[in-house]
Amino acid sequence: MKTRSKKRTGTLLLALMLTLLAGCGSGSNGNQPANNGNASTKPEAEASAAATADTSSSTKKVTLTMMVSGTKAPDGQDFALDIMPKLVKEKFPNVTLETSKLPDEQYFTSIRTKLASGQGPDIYWVFPRNASLGVLDMAKAGYAADLSDLAFWDNISQGAKEDMSYEGKPYGIAGGLDYLGVYYNQDLFKQAGITEMPQDWPSFLEACQKLKDAGITPISLADKDPWFLQFGMYQIAANVVYPDEMDFDTKLQAGEKSLSDPKWAATISKMKELYDKGYVVKNSLGLGSAQAAQLFIDGKSAMIFDGTWDYATLTAKGAADFTRGFFSLPANEAGQPTYVSAATAAGFALNAKSENLDVAKEVMNYLFDGQSDLFKAWTGANSSISVYKGVALNHELFKEVNDSYLNNGKSVYFPNQMWPTGVAEEMEAKFAEIIGGRKTTPEQVTEAMDAKFKELWKNK
Amino acid sequence: MKSTVMKKTMYFFAVPALLFYLTFWIFPITKLFQYSVTDYNGFAQTFNYIGFDNYRALFNGGTLGNSISNTLVYTVVSVVAGNLIGLALALLLNMKIRGKGFYRSISYIPTLFSAIVVGFIWSYVYMPDSGMIATFLDKLGIPNDNLNFLGSYSSALYSIIFVEIWKNVGTTMIIFLAGLQTVPNDLLEAGRIDGCGGWKLLRYVKLPLLATSITINTTLSLINGLKAFDFPFIMTNGGPGTSTNTLIYSIYKMAFTEQMFGKASALGIISFILIIAVTAVSVLLMNRKEVSA
Repeated sequence: MKTRSKKRTGTLLLALMLTLLAGCGSGSNGNQPANNGNASTKPEAEASAAATADTSSSTKKVTLTMMVSGTKAPDGQDFALDIMPKLVKEKFPNVTLETSKLPDEQYFTSIRTKLASGQGPDIYWVFPRNASLGVLDMAKAGYAADLSDLAFWDNISQGAKEDMSYEGKPYGIAGGLDYLGVYYNQDLFKQAGITEMPQDWPSFLEACQKLKDAGITPISLADKDPWFLQFGMYQIAANVVYPDEMDFDTKLQAGEKSLSDPKWAATISKMKELYDKGYVVKNSLGLGSAQAAQLFIDGKSAMIFDGTWDYATLTAKGAADFTRGFFSLPANEAGQPTYVSAATAAGFALNAKSENLDVAKEVMNYLFDGQSDLFKAWTGANSSISVYKGVALNHELFKEVNDSYLNNGKSVYFPNQMWPTGVAEEMEAKFAEIIGGRKTTPEQVTEAMDAKFKELWKNK
Repeated sequence: MKSTVMKKTMYFFAVPALLFYLTFWIFPITKLFQYSVTDYNGFAQTFNYIGFDNYRALFNGGTLGNSISNTLVYTVVSVVAGNLIGLALALLLNMKIRGKGFYRSISYIPTLFSAIVVGFIWSYVYMPDSGMIATFLDKLGIPNDNLNFLGSYSSALYSIIFVEIWKNVGTTMIIFLAGLQTVPNDLLEAGRIDGCGGWKLLRYVKLPLLATSITINTTLSLINGLKAFDFPFIMTNGGPGTSTNTLIYSIYKMAFTEQMFGKASALGIISFILIIAVTAVSVLLMNRKEVSA
């Protein structure tokens, strides 16, 4: 009798434990509200939501969450972290915007996990087309909401809208347009006796040689950060792979073309030429991006390949004072036009599974209304070239490239936007062997890229 | 039937712990096995079962061989060199010297920092031109133009291993020190009376009695080396090229950069088996050599 009652106690205890565990378990299943913000505001929000269930969202207390990638601006001046939450609160007193910003790598990992576990933020940052965390993936997986009904699409350039669309509908709002180019030191160019800006590949090599002969490091690149290689490579590809075949990547995806194409091998060879001839800073494999930028702003190297997004870093004051210039890397043959490497920048997407999708849309409509304080703050803080109708070019430095982009229409996007993530990394890893003095040939690089592309593409 | 040892109902008290163990440890591992035969990309909830394609691709591709060989080099060098240096330090700091406690603390300090901090510090130490080593050589007037520890294929892996040893030698030393305290004085005295010199005492008395510590240290650094991830991640990103890609770093890259969770799971299982096999064999081998005082 005694044992039985003990057994019963044991069973009871077990049942209790199970209930407790079940209680824990329900915390992680999918029907939680998508905002994982301040817990203390939640009951409040739910209570008032129940009370005013059928009134519009303008009276309901809502906490929106937002996650973006990038590096933080100085305290109090970061658009996403400081300015946007404040201005949203002014316009919508009932809306609290909680924002966080992570460096790219961490952002990619964190946002995927959050979205996959149903805890994604209401507003987040996506990249054009097939890029890592690209809009196509996000829309296909059902994480990004269809944004066709936002009010401002007429004011956004058509190309930028298309780059953020899936099956003809926009799923992301492009932050702008980015150019890849060459930042150069005009004073050092003069010092080396370069009077005319290079217009094609032979004259570019000539200019590099003049710099080298004058004892100046022509180009600083940061190959310790593997992705840095893309900044030069894509500009060359824009002038070698695409000019007579703008649909190369479409054919690639359809299996009609391959990355082991001679045109890609030629692209890699041109990049290799810069290293072989000693135009790139020595030991580039030991330099990180910050260190390479430092060499440039200290006046120790004449050029650096980079994008418009690094304007602030590359125009910062270093050890030397000099005039900067910006041009598209002329990887074209003599007599051919130079193609600009230009691509839509990352931008906002809304979480399709968010409970507060409508509120998030209102915030977006306000952000992109073209006149509000929030809009002005956004255009002021944005380092990309605006794709919004009527917004002036933000930096005089980019005028030449921008004019050529607008007037000639000769531009190519960044190729990795049409590749599954992993192909560019393969290119970087293989090309590093060339930089490191291994006997890898350009053809071996393209073959490795092609193999990686085929492996990853079949999963799409 | 009454048990004299324990009431059967008492087993129920193990259930909560067991459940936690199953849910948070065993279940995820079985999930890994499941994912390893799919083309799961890490976020879309739809995926297909593709049989052993992932394994096949791994065995045919270059990643597996490259990362296994890197990992083995990493492990062997860090186990051998780490233990020798640790033992030497322990023997030194076991002698009657002034400030013994101070030196012991100093040697243990690197262990206290997190790998992130250590990795960052050493990236600057190794940096070409303006790094600590380069500056130091500059001061001495030694040309260091081609000094590029982390950026050259031949030295990157070994430079990282050196940092790994630098960070862990403190732990190894402490364990050896503790082992040395258990060596009975009478044995040492007996040895001396029989005419042993310092070397013979070490070889025939101390080392055999240290066998347990050697087993512990070797096993610990073996496991540490086989799952090396943090230093390649912080200091080189696996580069230049793939020359510092270790097994775990390759898994990370495959899963989070290339979005091939399925294939990464397969690689995870292969390294799981490899680590268990290597560790088991070495523990069995070393256990046989242990003696007690």
